[in-house]
Amino acid sequence: MIIDFCYQNHTMKIELKKVMPFPLASIKHSDESIWGNDIILEPSKKIILNASSGKGKSTFTTTTTGLRNDYDGDIMYEGINIKSYSPDDWSLIRQEKISTVFQDLQLFPKLTVKENLLLKNSLTDTYTEIELIQLLEKLEIDDKWTQLCGLLSMGQQQRVAIIRALSQPFEWLIMDEPFSHLDVDNTNRCLAMIDERATKLNAGFVLTTLGDFHNFNYDYELKL
Amino acid sequence: MLNKLLFKNQDKKQLIIAMIGAFMGITFLVTSIHFLIQVNDFGKGAEILGPNTIIVQKKVSNSSTLGLTSTDFSENEIEKIRSEKFIDDVKPVISNNFDVSFETADPLVPRFRSDVFIQTIDPDFIDVKSSNWKWNEGDEFVPIIMPRDFLVMLNTFMSASGIPQVSDDLAMKIKFKFTLSNQTDKEWVDARIIGFTNEVSAILVPETFMTYGNTKYSNGTDQKITQVMISGKESEFGLVEELLEKKGLESKNSQMVVGRLKSIIGTLFFVVLGISIIAVFVSGLVLIQYLQLLMSKNAYEVRTLMRIGYRPSEIVWKFFIYFTKIFGIVALLGISLFIPLKLIIDDVFQSGGIYIDESFTIGSIGALILAYVLFTVASYLTAKKGVFNEY
Repeated sequence: MIIDFCYQNHTMKIELKKVMPFPLASIKHSDESIWGNDIILEPSKKIILNASSGKGKSTFTTTTTGLRNDYDGDIMYEGINIKSYSPDDWSLIRQEKISTVFQDLQLFPKLTVKENLLLKNSLTDTYTEIELIQLLEKLEIDDKWTQLCGLLSMGQQQRVAIIRALSQPFEWLIMDEPFSHLDVDNTNRCLAMIDERATKLNAGFVLTTLGDFHNFNYDYELKL
Repeated sequence: MLNKLLFKNQDKKQLIIAMIGAFMGITFLVTSIHFLIQVNDFGKGAEILGPNTIIVQKKVSNSSTLGLTSTDFSENEIEKIRSEKFIDDVKPVISNNFDVSFETADPLVPRFRSDVFIQTIDPDFIDVKSSNWKWNEGDEFVPIIMPRDFLVMLNTFMSASGIPQVSDDLAMKIKFKFTLSNQTDKEWVDARIIGFTNEVSAILVPETFMTYGNTKYSNGTDQKITQVMISGKESEFGLVEELLEKKGLESKNSQMVVGRLKSIIGTLFFVVLGISIIAVFVSGLVLIQYLQLLMSKNAYEVRTLMRIGYRPSEIVWKFFIYFTKIFGIVALLGISLFIPLKLIIDDVFQSGGIYIDESFTIGSIGALILAYVLFTVASYLTAKKGVFNEY
């Protein structure tokens, strides 16, 4: 399928139409919940998804980004049901439309920070190596450039995963508890970097959280 | 970087064992196919009869001399021999049923004349071009295939007459003629030698010439079949020999020796070929199993690469290329060992007096290419399945 919504200064609209993941079907959800209702992720909006554990925050991340299909209802990108996308379509979407910070980070522990970032960056040549180091510097981990990711602390790995997610063009950035291992200062630095990048790209983001809003002014909040 | 992620830090022990197995299998496969082809081709072109073909007759015993048993072949006997599984074909050897003499008819050569015995055998059994092996009434000359013994006799006569002996090539340029006759008629027909044979004792002529002579100059007696040609299947010559023994038939010893030799060596290389195919198959399976193991160890990496935007086909291609290279190395090593191995075996044959063709056979290289293609297809399908399992 041709991804036919690739034109400049336009951010795709994501719609969830009565989506109900099978594992969450037995739980009663409120009228405001994203599960079982019609929800629109408005283009370029900065959204927070706040819920306690076990309500389906990670399920939201994986279903919205096409990583799992075990749900009823429809998820639409710009009016196209995402279940109709081919593997190659998804590769293109994940290279240029949607970037993700996974809860379990999904880094390669046997590769260095440099290799982890270049592996992603090489798909789109978004940054130069110097720019990547500068991003690491902003998050105070530039000294880890040649270290194996598997040897970093969780907080350091979380910052690497955030920079990796920013190392591509995107219209949506979906983040699953991206600051869970970071202190307030580092969280603020990361959030500022994400906000700056999203604004520059006219992109939206969804940040899932266990209740901490990180003193950021979101456009609106989604509930589970 | 993808290569480092997917292939570095892997336990190479199993890969090396599989590579050694595949290397040995490939070497024996190429070697055995090469020598199987060369041994089967051994003798081709040197004689006019095709490979595995012999001319047999019934053994002459006291009873046949006394006329109690016949040395002729009946249609029924020929059919029985033909019905054996290891026999490709049986055809009667037709002899002249008229008086015929053979003489030189060239001003450069002294006159030499002799009553002769001519025969014709089915063209399918003769290794000469069919365009040369034909005769029609009115043709300029009859093509003939001469027993080499006859040339020896001719040369003895030449030598005794004080003229230089003739080579094969020169003999083929000398003009000869047949005299066909019966009690009332006589006819002369020019003849030219187009080849020589060690396998047949009579002068061979095309079937049409024999039919012409037998029809026009027959001496009135029935046409008898005293010899038949038997063409045995490859590598089953031992069974042909058994049949001859059982039915009281005999053949020229030299024909039997070559047939027996080819049969034994052919069978030997056939066994080696079978073992080699099994070895290549098993080592190929081990390599594919290693690919599956590698994919299962890399499941997280493959899944994550696709999650960050790598195309599945790109990852499949990486695995495919990696294993194509590995098998390429194995194939190159196999060929490298095959060359000295071939030289050694060629030497062994030569020291035993067997001069087989020393050129490389296309079949053995073809087998290597086939094994390579099969392996690459199998590795591509395995890689594709492994990657899409993680999608």
